[in-house]
Amino acid sequence: MTHTRLVLANLGRNKLRTAFTGGAITLAVLLVCILLTMPAAMDRLLEDIASDVRISVHNKAGLVYSMPGSFTRKVRNIDGVAAAVGMVWYGGAYEDGGKVTFPNFAIESEHVGAVYPDYPIEKEELADFVRYRDGAIVGAQTMDKYGWKIGDRVTLKSTIWPVDLDFRIVGRIDNPQSPHFWFSRTYLDEAMKAKLGQAAGFVGTIWVRAADPSRVNSIMLAVEEMSRNSDAEAVAETEKSFFQNFFGSLEGFIRIILLVTGLVTLCIIFIAANTASMNVRERSGEIAVLKAIGFARRFIFGSLLGEVVVLSTVAGAVGVGLALGFAGLLQSLAGGDGSLGPLGGFIITAPVLVQGLFLSLFIGMLAGVVPSFGAARKPVALALHEIF
Amino acid sequence: MADGSNALIDVRNVSRHYVRNVDEVHALDDVSLEVPAACFVALMGPSGSGKSTLLNLISGIDRPSEGEVIVAGQPLSTLDEDELATWRARHVGLIFQFFNLIPVLSARENVALPLLLTDLDKAERRRRAETALRVVGLEERFDHFPRTLSGGEQQRVAIARAIVTDPDLIVADEPTGDLDARNAEAILDLLRALKNEFGKTIVMVTHDSRALRYVDEAHHLDKGVLLTGEEAERAAAALLAAAGAHPMPPARSDGSS
Repeated sequence: MTHTRLVLANLGRNKLRTAFTGGAITLAVLLVCILLTMPAAMDRLLEDIASDVRISVHNKAGLVYSMPGSFTRKVRNIDGVAAAVGMVWYGGAYEDGGKVTFPNFAIESEHVGAVYPDYPIEKEELADFVRYRDGAIVGAQTMDKYGWKIGDRVTLKSTIWPVDLDFRIVGRIDNPQSPHFWFSRTYLDEAMKAKLGQAAGFVGTIWVRAADPSRVNSIMLAVEEMSRNSDAEAVAETEKSFFQNFFGSLEGFIRIILLVTGLVTLCIIFIAANTASMNVRERSGEIAVLKAIGFARRFIFGSLLGEVVVLSTVAGAVGVGLALGFAGLLQSLAGGDGSLGPLGGFIITAPVLVQGLFLSLFIGMLAGVVPSFGAARKPVALALHEIF
Repeated sequence: MADGSNALIDVRNVSRHYVRNVDEVHALDDVSLEVPAACFVALMGPSGSGKSTLLNLISGIDRPSEGEVIVAGQPLSTLDEDELATWRARHVGLIFQFFNLIPVLSARENVALPLLLTDLDKAERRRRAETALRVVGLEERFDHFPRTLSGGEQQRVAIARAIVTDPDLIVADEPTGDLDARNAEAILDLLRALKNEFGKTIVMVTHDSRALRYVDEAHHLDKGVLLTGEEAERAAAALLAAAGAHPMPPARSDGSS
């Protein structure tokens, strides 16, 4: 007979209740661990896709408004700019029904390699992209989704331009999270000239690569200064800021989820506290006898609290284990299926793991402290009087 | 012993008052009692007479409003709650009407529980628990759980739990109250054996007139007052008459009082 045996035996007293309470704590910790990875996953995603030397330039009025095509050349001449490329949204649909399922842009193909040197694209493929007017470079996510390979020919039907275009896939952005479909701006202009007699002559977004990170701020100021009081005032922001704005609504969503998670955790604490109170109430006779035969208040308190803490910690450890398994499953799925993309970024880091375990410990402490303290402090004579 | 007397228990002018709702209840009024070592004593009386209150004061479970309780030379009023718990663990074995064994522990584990408060190692705790179970005649039931034991056997386990720490004093509150006649006699036999063979001092609260055949002394309480002289004799006679039993001496069965 040991203290540990006493605690474990009491936990096994009502197995169904213990299982349900433990299950609730496991699910709460699993949920919290998964959600705690989200902000970090978003940061990791931003770090993966955002460069510290790349700048986005677009119309101050919004992304859907354009800027003069000549503005790209002016930006290219700003001191500190290593390269700049203009792109325009094509809005091409591959699938029947006209739904745009991946982002596709007409881009100045000859500048892609200079603006995106960090993108995993083979040099030969970049050269082919410049060489073939109908060439397209496609992200691995979209390539894998549709089973495309280099050399395939595909047709996109634009939802906003009056021309549908046939493309020859000449390159792949070898990043499983990349959905892009880029093709030559010249190809679009020629098609527009053939159809309407003139090219579009404007640009949607300009991506700029600074020569080094220290030049980024001065370039952004220069870009905005250059367009001030023009018909299309431009705004510049870092690539990270650009994507953060993109994900801004998602972050708000995450905050709501975290709030709900906190409330769920609070509910679990109440459930566990209720279970602990029921345990104490049902065992009031035994507890009174234990006190009478000499078990001090601290022992009674420690023993009852220990039961709740052991249950919650074991349940929490299971929850953390399940979270690890779930994140691992997402990663393996994301690795095999590009469409899951960012889900692969949900990694249970050591801090999240520790937070999950501490949360379960916290649940146990908070749930157990009140009923355990109440049982421990009750005078032994009163406790005996209540049962006999 | 206190003041040079040979009393193991010395209850001096003890009163116990408490407030229930708005009324003050006088559970005990100016009770004095001495119990010698190795004596088997019954506290008897009708419900509400204060016998369980007196038992609680003697065992250090409750504290008197006035007066002093001294057990084995230790004035209990000098001990705080935790010291009192430690004192009970070392010096008092408690037996209750309802056995309140822990259902998820075996008989041996239940008996070994009080030994968790000692410095004994696990093997020694186990050995002592088995010895206590042998003393109460349950050597075949070491690994049985309470639900598989009869009421009499469960009470024997509770008695083994009370004696496993080898206490000076055993207090029993209606130990036969929840048992049939045969098991009640067996428990009374066992308590007397503990006194005779191991020299234990036993104080027992009971309504059971059969107990008079087993105890050395019987003290009667009524309305919080310890009866003496003719009043005590009348109370004993009334008890025996009510039980249809033969007259028994109200105090020492050896006739010394």
